[in-house]
Amino acid sequence: MKIIFKYANTYRKAMFLALFLMVVELIVELVQPIIMAKMIDDGIIAEDMSTIYLYGAILLAITLLAFAAGITSSFFAAEVSQGVGYDIRSDLFRNIQMFSAMKIQQFATSTLLTRMTNDVIQVQNLLFAFMRIMLRAPLFIIFGIVMSFTLNIPLAQILLATIPILFVVMFWLMLKGMRLFRHVQGWIDQVNNVIRENLLAIKLVKAFHRMTFENNRFSKVNTKLKDKNRQALWVMEIVMPIVMLIMNIAMIGLLWFGFIQLDTGSARAGEVVGVINYATRMLASFGVFAFLLMNLSRGRASANRINDILVQPADDVVIKQQQREMIKGDIQFDNVSFTYPDTSQEVLRAINFQVKAGEKIGILGETGAGKTTLLHLIPYLYHPSAGTIYVDGKPMEQLGNKVRHDVTLVPQEGFLFSGTILDNITWGNEHLSQEQAEKVAKEAQLHDFIMTLPNTYQTVIGQRGVNLSGGQKQRLSIARALADNPHVLLLDDSTSALDATTESDVLATIRERRCTTFIVSQKISSVQDADQIIVLEKGSIVGLGTHRQLLQTNALYQTLWDSQQKKGVTLDD
Amino acid sequence: MTNKKGEVQPPSRHHPMIGKKPKVKNLRATITRIWNYMKADKIMFWLVLVMVFLSAVLSLLGPYFIGVAVDIMTGAESVLAFEVILMLLAIVFVLHSVTLALQNYWMIDVSQNAVFAMRKELFEHVIRLPIIQFQKSQSGDLMSRLTNDIENVSRTLNTAVIQVTTSILTLVGTLVVMVLLSPLLTLMIITIVPLMYLGMKWITNRTSYYFKEQQNELGEMTGFLEETLSGHSMVKLFHQEHRVIDQYQQHNKKLRKVGYWAQVYSGFIPKLMNGLNNFGFAVIVGFGGWVVLATNATTITIGIIVTFTTYARQFTRPLNDLANQFNTILSAVAGAERAFEVMDQEEETDHKKQDIQHVKGDVAFRHVSFSYHTDEHVLQDISFHAKQGQTVALVGPTGAGKTTIISLLARFFEEQEGEILLDDQSMRNLTNKSIRSHLGIVLQDSSLFDTTVRENIRYGKLNATDQEVEESAKMANAHAFIEQLPKQYDTVLKGNGQGISQGQRQLLVIARTMLANPSILILDEATSSIDTITELKITDALETLMKGKTSFVIAHRLNTIEKADMILVLKEGKIIEKGTHLSLMKEKGFYANLVTTQTVQTVYD
Repeated sequence: MKIIFKYANTYRKAMFLALFLMVVELIVELVQPIIMAKMIDDGIIAEDMSTIYLYGAILLAITLLAFAAGITSSFFAAEVSQGVGYDIRSDLFRNIQMFSAMKIQQFATSTLLTRMTNDVIQVQNLLFAFMRIMLRAPLFIIFGIVMSFTLNIPLAQILLATIPILFVVMFWLMLKGMRLFRHVQGWIDQVNNVIRENLLAIKLVKAFHRMTFENNRFSKVNTKLKDKNRQALWVMEIVMPIVMLIMNIAMIGLLWFGFIQLDTGSARAGEVVGVINYATRMLASFGVFAFLLMNLSRGRASANRINDILVQPADDVVIKQQQREMIKGDIQFDNVSFTYPDTSQEVLRAINFQVKAGEKIGILGETGAGKTTLLHLIPYLYHPSAGTIYVDGKPMEQLGNKVRHDVTLVPQEGFLFSGTILDNITWGNEHLSQEQAEKVAKEAQLHDFIMTLPNTYQTVIGQRGVNLSGGQKQRLSIARALADNPHVLLLDDSTSALDATTESDVLATIRERRCTTFIVSQKISSVQDADQIIVLEKGSIVGLGTHRQLLQTNALYQTLWDSQQKKGVTLDD
Repeated sequence: MTNKKGEVQPPSRHHPMIGKKPKVKNLRATITRIWNYMKADKIMFWLVLVMVFLSAVLSLLGPYFIGVAVDIMTGAESVLAFEVILMLLAIVFVLHSVTLALQNYWMIDVSQNAVFAMRKELFEHVIRLPIIQFQKSQSGDLMSRLTNDIENVSRTLNTAVIQVTTSILTLVGTLVVMVLLSPLLTLMIITIVPLMYLGMKWITNRTSYYFKEQQNELGEMTGFLEETLSGHSMVKLFHQEHRVIDQYQQHNKKLRKVGYWAQVYSGFIPKLMNGLNNFGFAVIVGFGGWVVLATNATTITIGIIVTFTTYARQFTRPLNDLANQFNTILSAVAGAERAFEVMDQEEETDHKKQDIQHVKGDVAFRHVSFSYHTDEHVLQDISFHAKQGQTVALVGPTGAGKTTIISLLARFFEEQEGEILLDDQSMRNLTNKSIRSHLGIVLQDSSLFDTTVRENIRYGKLNATDQEVEESAKMANAHAFIEQLPKQYDTVLKGNGQGISQGQRQLLVIARTMLANPSILILDEATSSIDTITELKITDALETLMKGKTSFVIAHRLNTIEKADMILVLKEGKIIEKGTHLSLMKEKGFYANLVTTQTVQTVYD
């Protein structure tokens, strides 16, 4: 919650104005009964027409004043809430951009998205409502009691005594109801889960003819949801009848006590009517409390979720005008180990190898052997938990994320951005000319394909444009990487969707670039001409050498080789 | 202004749902259908309405008795003693709370029972829809109809009935009482209505535009965020942090601008209502006072003026509430309509068909054609004969019709021309249920459920013993890795088998099919990269599974294809070549070309 006020502080002038205008409105409403009393006593009863004209005009004037105040407050309140929303969104995004690749894995993209959209909107709505209506109800109750005290102290005391009882009962019930609704949410998730599973596996359900089985499964969660929902709704719906009953009992108390006081002459009729009038108006304000509590709890949850992100230290800060340090491409791993944060298992264990600039290195191993993790260490996306990586003889920590100017990675699933083909090629290097873009497209064996597209390099890809096949995506992301003119190129199984001819062509042109190249692959054929091949198993290097050396000495490599020979080729287009 | 499903949304008094008007095609028919679900609790429903009526009357009686009590205090003559009035007042108050509680209690039952029945029928219907319906509609859309739309109905049904009837009754009741007390003052109050209408119209004209714009901008920003957040490591790798921040701020600024105006204008609404209320107050008191003095009329008294100030508020509130409710109800009705649309789609039927008891596994396609739309053939004139125990490999480029052949066999689709014979009987005359009971299907998108490994395997034969489950796991080469899992067979798989590898999922699916022990097998070989060791296990397991069974394989691996008894080479929905590996290689056609070009490139040194 604190964080909301921190952000709102920037707009404190507008906020105070909005609150001030709200109070103006409130005062007008509180004054109205008094003016009415004046008109009745001094005007109608005293038969003085000029008083009626005067107070009638005053009444109209303050009504207009309240209206103007209300309308104006809308501008200030919106300025605060939209401004805060803007600032929070911008800080969130900046902070996330400065997260390291490792840190961002703690948050799924979907939760980051919800926090930046829905949660911020919740906070905005809360702020807006807070300035305009939420504060109104409590203020009205406080002012109402104060006014009652000016009218008749014993009667006002009855009113004052009732309020805490109401609050306790109401909050207790509502908190209970909200807790029940959280259970309901859990069961909604369960019901949706069964539905989702069945939609995804509909062929399976049909193939095994399991309709009755699935219906029973669904019926179970559905019944549970109904029961929990009924409980929760019941608790919520009972709040208002109970609050009304308590307030109404107090009202009877006021009347009765007022009647006794009238008899003894210690109260006047007008005072009793006045206090009852305030009590009626307060009851109406209580309805708002349900709304208030709900909004507060939702707003607080959202604020906490936002805060979770903001308090995360930005651990990969980039300085804008960074001095580029040329890297030749010598890489050395010295006893490097890596463990993902909050896990105990080492994904990489005591990795040692040395690569000279311009060499080609193959990395082989089963799924989960640590190949991708190893690649991620080189552009400083992940940081080793032990050991040191040397780049051109210097420890990686000295260079920091500056290495990324010269080190580029092509991920397995070519991640593309919306926009044109050219946009994607020049994504990492905006200053690239059309000719240079074509050159790298040719290197990635993509130019011919691009030329067949209706708008060639200006063709829009993705949801709003042409769909690319897996292989085309991979080649486009290779072109993008080459456009950055890397001295160290990391290919993470990024030619897997290419046919054999294209793959070898692409690899051959990359070879001509004479940059240090790491190639992770499932296929030995893609890496057998490498200067060194690293065989990984469960995070450790179990083989290191050339194809020939490994064939002779390494058992795992031999098994892989034999099975791949046996498996034969892929018969696909 | 949309709230997340399941969260409690009190009837918002000050923020009506403005923005896009939900589209309802047939309001009356849809409401009738919803009513059909509530009819089961008809008596309770009428009781609710009775309670609503009683509580509305009681809410008018309360202020009346307070007025009488005040009159007695100020010395007016009364037939009833003050204590009696207080007793009556107490009874009215208690009854009011009781009727409110009861109407809610019964309405919760009525609405939740109705929603329960809707959910149940919808689910049971959906899983009986023919597969082709699933391919026509996007799965996300179907999912949202089954969940969000129904949830929307559930949330609204509860309060809508009570709120609407209460609003109308209060409106009518207040109006009647006001006219009875003073037609002249009533007329004055009614002047507020056109003002309110005009004001609201002016405001909603603006808000609807800005809310739409806000939605658009939010959509744009979400799209941008989705891309840059999931591509976070790309941004890092290409050191483009500052550029994406700049781009983001553009979206952010636009959103702030439209958001500002949307909020400003929608903020006018409660202020307008308040202003009109205050205006009404001023008019009643000022005008009323003037009438009393100027005309010396006896029709308006001080008491009536005081009462009217209360009623004026009671009169405008239901108007506002009704306006608020209107859009909420429309959006729920639109949701119900979307759900009903699904229910109106025809179910798959086994009407007038026979069960097939024992299946040898002899399958023949005779001039089979199939198309999704009438103009374009997906399959054209397919004929072949697979004898009992044979393996048929389907080969061809993507979109050649391999999957369609398999779907016809599994009766997911039905052929439009020609016929498919199973042991010499046309599949058209056989029940889908009995055909499928003899089929085993291992698909590429191997589906697993969020339950234990054991239950996932048991899905193949619901009455299988634990021992049978483990035996088939052993045969499928899955036992070893299952033993490595934290709770072995009792490990719960989450999110379609996340946490185990793609290859391990395949092994589980094979174990499941093994347990079902079908006579005919349908396999879709995985294309995704599975590590070599696991792949060996899969191949081995599949060999065990296929032994003695008629098998249809969508094959990608040459060694699978070579072993097949018959290879069907498909292209653009037609069989262009048919034979064994050897005979096709001799033919030197499409297949031979495919094999040679692919093999030539993998010549090793």
